[in-house]
Amino acid sequence: MNPFRKNLQRNPVIKFCASIRIAIACLALLFILTLWGTIDQVTNGLYLAQERFFYSFFFTFAGVIPFPGAQLVLWVFFINLVCVALTRLVYKWDQAGIIVIHFGLLLFFVAAFVTYHGTEESHITLREGEGTNVSQGYHDWELAVWTEADNAQNVVAWDTKGLRPNDRLAFPEYGLTATVGHYYPNAEAYGTGQPSPDVVSASGIQTVKETPLDKEPEKNLPGALLTVRTSGPQGKEREVSVLLYGGEEQPAKITSGEQTYFMQLRHKRSPLPFILRLKEFTAEWYPNTQVARSYKSLVGITPAGGSGSREVLISMNKPLRYKDFTVYQSSYAVDEFGRESSTLAVVRNAGRLLPYCASFITFGGLALHFLMMAFKTKLR
Amino acid sequence: MLNSKPETRNSSQREPNGKQIQNSKFKYFKPVVSSFKYLGLNIVSDFGFRISDFCRRLLFCLFLVAITTVPAFAQQVCDLGPSVQPRKLRSLEHFGALAVLNDGRVKPVDTYARTLLLQFSGKTSFDRKPAVEWLGRLLFAPQTTRDDKVFLINNPEIATGMGIEAEPHRRYSFSRLQPGLAKLDELAEMADKINEKERSVVEQEVLRVYRNLVVYDKHSRVFSFAFPSPEFDIASPEVVKALELPEGQKAFSFYDIASRADRLRELTGRLEKKKSADWPARDKELFQLANTLFHWSLDYSDLPFTVVPAGDSSEDWSSPMDAVNRGFSDPKIREEIARLRDMMVYYWNGEQLQFDLAVRSFGHSVLNRVDPARKKAVGKIPLELFYNKANLFLWAKLFYAMAFFIFLWSFFPGGARPVWRRAAFFSVVAGLVPHALALALRIIIMARPPVSNLYETFIFVSMITVIAGIIIELVNKRWVGNLVASVCGFVFLMIASKFAAEGDTLQMLVAVLNSNFWLGTHVLSITTGYSGVCVAGLIGHLYILQRIKYPGDKAALESTYHQLIGALGFGLMMTFLGTTLGGIWADQSWGRFWGWDPKENGALLIVLWCAIIFHAKVGRFVGPLGLAAGSVVGIIVVMWAWFGVNLLSVGLHSYGFTSGVATGLLVYVLAELAFLAICVPLALKIPLPRREG
Repeated sequence: MNPFRKNLQRNPVIKFCASIRIAIACLALLFILTLWGTIDQVTNGLYLAQERFFYSFFFTFAGVIPFPGAQLVLWVFFINLVCVALTRLVYKWDQAGIIVIHFGLLLFFVAAFVTYHGTEESHITLREGEGTNVSQGYHDWELAVWTEADNAQNVVAWDTKGLRPNDRLAFPEYGLTATVGHYYPNAEAYGTGQPSPDVVSASGIQTVKETPLDKEPEKNLPGALLTVRTSGPQGKEREVSVLLYGGEEQPAKITSGEQTYFMQLRHKRSPLPFILRLKEFTAEWYPNTQVARSYKSLVGITPAGGSGSREVLISMNKPLRYKDFTVYQSSYAVDEFGRESSTLAVVRNAGRLLPYCASFITFGGLALHFLMMAFKTKLR
Repeated sequence: MLNSKPETRNSSQREPNGKQIQNSKFKYFKPVVSSFKYLGLNIVSDFGFRISDFCRRLLFCLFLVAITTVPAFAQQVCDLGPSVQPRKLRSLEHFGALAVLNDGRVKPVDTYARTLLLQFSGKTSFDRKPAVEWLGRLLFAPQTTRDDKVFLINNPEIATGMGIEAEPHRRYSFSRLQPGLAKLDELAEMADKINEKERSVVEQEVLRVYRNLVVYDKHSRVFSFAFPSPEFDIASPEVVKALELPEGQKAFSFYDIASRADRLRELTGRLEKKKSADWPARDKELFQLANTLFHWSLDYSDLPFTVVPAGDSSEDWSSPMDAVNRGFSDPKIREEIARLRDMMVYYWNGEQLQFDLAVRSFGHSVLNRVDPARKKAVGKIPLELFYNKANLFLWAKLFYAMAFFIFLWSFFPGGARPVWRRAAFFSVVAGLVPHALALALRIIIMARPPVSNLYETFIFVSMITVIAGIIIELVNKRWVGNLVASVCGFVFLMIASKFAAEGDTLQMLVAVLNSNFWLGTHVLSITTGYSGVCVAGLIGHLYILQRIKYPGDKAALESTYHQLIGALGFGLMMTFLGTTLGGIWADQSWGRFWGWDPKENGALLIVLWCAIIFHAKVGRFVGPLGLAAGSVVGIIVVMWAWFGVNLLSVGLHSYGFTSGVATGLLVYVLAELAFLAICVPLALKIPLPRREG
């Protein structure tokens, strides 16, 4: 046996980490978390269940009792699997199936890590004839600031995820700093609709109150109270309280000297390396029914800075792929004037093919092992 | 011969200016303005928008009639009285082979009738006669179905709520329900206001019954266009002559007048130049006819039984009445409507040959007109008729049940002889033949893999378990395969028949599932995985019972144990494949491989559970008995993943019909847990054989 491997096998830490008891415990915990997280979706919805059970290291239930989240369990399981690969797996031909299964699973863990950290999801909603090179997040928000001269084309934005009171947000391009008074991921706004002398807001709101997160995260509307420090006339600094609410369509307007700034809480926007223009949208129904047969968006795609445009038909199960971006047909809507708009999901996923590879390798291992076992049993 | 009594006008309300007053959703017979191209728009342009005093007064009178008419189901359709009955036709077989477009697909009228009757009564026949005969009566002579007890009301509270006495067999006739229909309107309106997920069983049942009655009523009006109606009575022989109608006849139908629409328009076209007060009696009658024609075209629109290819797009089909509105100018459609009218007349006269000829003539005309995709579907109708008639799943169930009884027989002295084992094996194979044939027919008819809803997954899993049982029996020759095949085959087909009671099981695919490649790979592999784990679970039961009953038979125990491991391994492998293929499909459709959706989680639970069992075995934490008990629990996990998660009604996969399944699933889980709680400790008390596994 390889002396390095022998040494590893003697190492008590690695020996402990490679224990099959840990593997079984991890499998059992994953089983419990998956079941629990599924049932929890009935009351709290998919998004909150994901955050609580599957994307956390720990969570508490019944108020105080801690329980490991899937992220922690998967890390432990990954370490266990690496140690097993180093010390316990028997690298012989008759164990080929088992070896391939475990290496396939290791690749699954890598794929999960890459996709979890490397995936960005957003969407584009277009009417026929419209085009864009910016996509909008589903439930991530940003604090965007721009000046009158920028006309909302040049924007400086801060991601609002995890904002806490007293956080300082600097906008050096504009000489602004904002200090967070409070930030609520979901809030209700109250006010008279009239401008207040104490606080600047877009729509005359005077206060925002925190409300519990909605089970459908798209319905959450954040609210924030910021203290914005601007350079006033004669270079004097002044502080302005700004109240922002996700439900406002217009930005709050802050005037400092001759300069006017706009500030808004809005869905996070991401630039795309292409311009997408919707040429035609078609919804097909089975005759005499309300059952959809297909949705199709004929789009023109023009690479950023490029002149050539090509047409692509996006439909259910047939997305558009452009570098590491994939554009899917997500939904459609008809407004009160009967105009149709198509919503396309935009996903950027650098490790998209990793789960595919991991799947086939692991299945290959399972099939190999199953056939070898069946053959052995038959021989017996 | 027809001798119709007055049809009461329906309850649609109109404002004096002729506009529709939107009835409440549950004040039934809310007319929908159809694209009345041929007659309606012209008449509206001639009269509706330049309305005369007379016209206003006439419409006001119509409005009064409408609002004083008892709403909803009080409308009588062709109430000819009990003494007038149609002469009996020998058979409606040819009629059953006609094509009808329903639920997005072209299907034979026979299937349509079965589905309709199933939806109403939970049965596919009435009075031991085929459903198509009952549908024929409903369409051609609706008043003869008023006393048929076809409306299944599962909850007696509903009958009480409607103010009628509950029937012991839970099936009610229309005439029995009629006095309570106004009350049912109210109950349905209340139930409809409640969020779908929060409705109680009774509220759901109220809406089901209500919808069934609406559907029944609409069907009873499908052939109204061909019935003589007093609203089309013509008193003046001069008008009869002017319209070139048969002289000496006074009673006419909508069809009779609509077929003279050109002449009517010509005659009434001149009226707009005159004041209504100056109109002669003949012109007033002509105007009234035109007006009635227009109102009928609105009131009798959007009816079911869409058998005539006519509509806004080439794919649309219409009911006969809508076809008159939409395509009467097309000579072929006009001819087809005439054949439909002939069918009704021959039906009443009991003229079988003429009826069948009219049916065939209509069928050929439709076939020559439809678009290529629909033509292909019409071509498959004989296959579907065979599928309906042969009742192949019933035969499969019978053979599987027989195999199981032969297995039971093996416990009697002499029953364990090889000849009985072979008999059971052949019975299983005999059951597999109709089972596989039925699945093949479904694949051909729908041109897709047979796994798009819960019903189909049950019949598919049933077949895979039977094949698995046959393979086990061929390899092992110890009854185990016969037992697995017969029990799984029979039980899963029985569960499938429960789902079949919901309606037509040959359904069109929603957009996201509309991919034969992914249905054929992901769904087939995951359901094959379900089969493997279920077979393992059944063998697990057997192993535990063997440990209790025959602890000394080491060879038998070892053999069963090996089969258990093989089935569980196969189940794990296929479930894993299905799960990951589902991930790839999700990545193709929704942009993510894994989204923690309940259905995805369900599949993951099966994989995790099998992995736990195998690792526990490798780590020697459990022995063969523990593995057997774990595989029994595996069935519960499969049931949860298969249709338990659908009960949660959340996520992207919340398809399938699962009402009433929760109780069954709970009872099953409790029964399995009770089995384990009793048998495992019992098996542990019995001394272990020296070597096994």
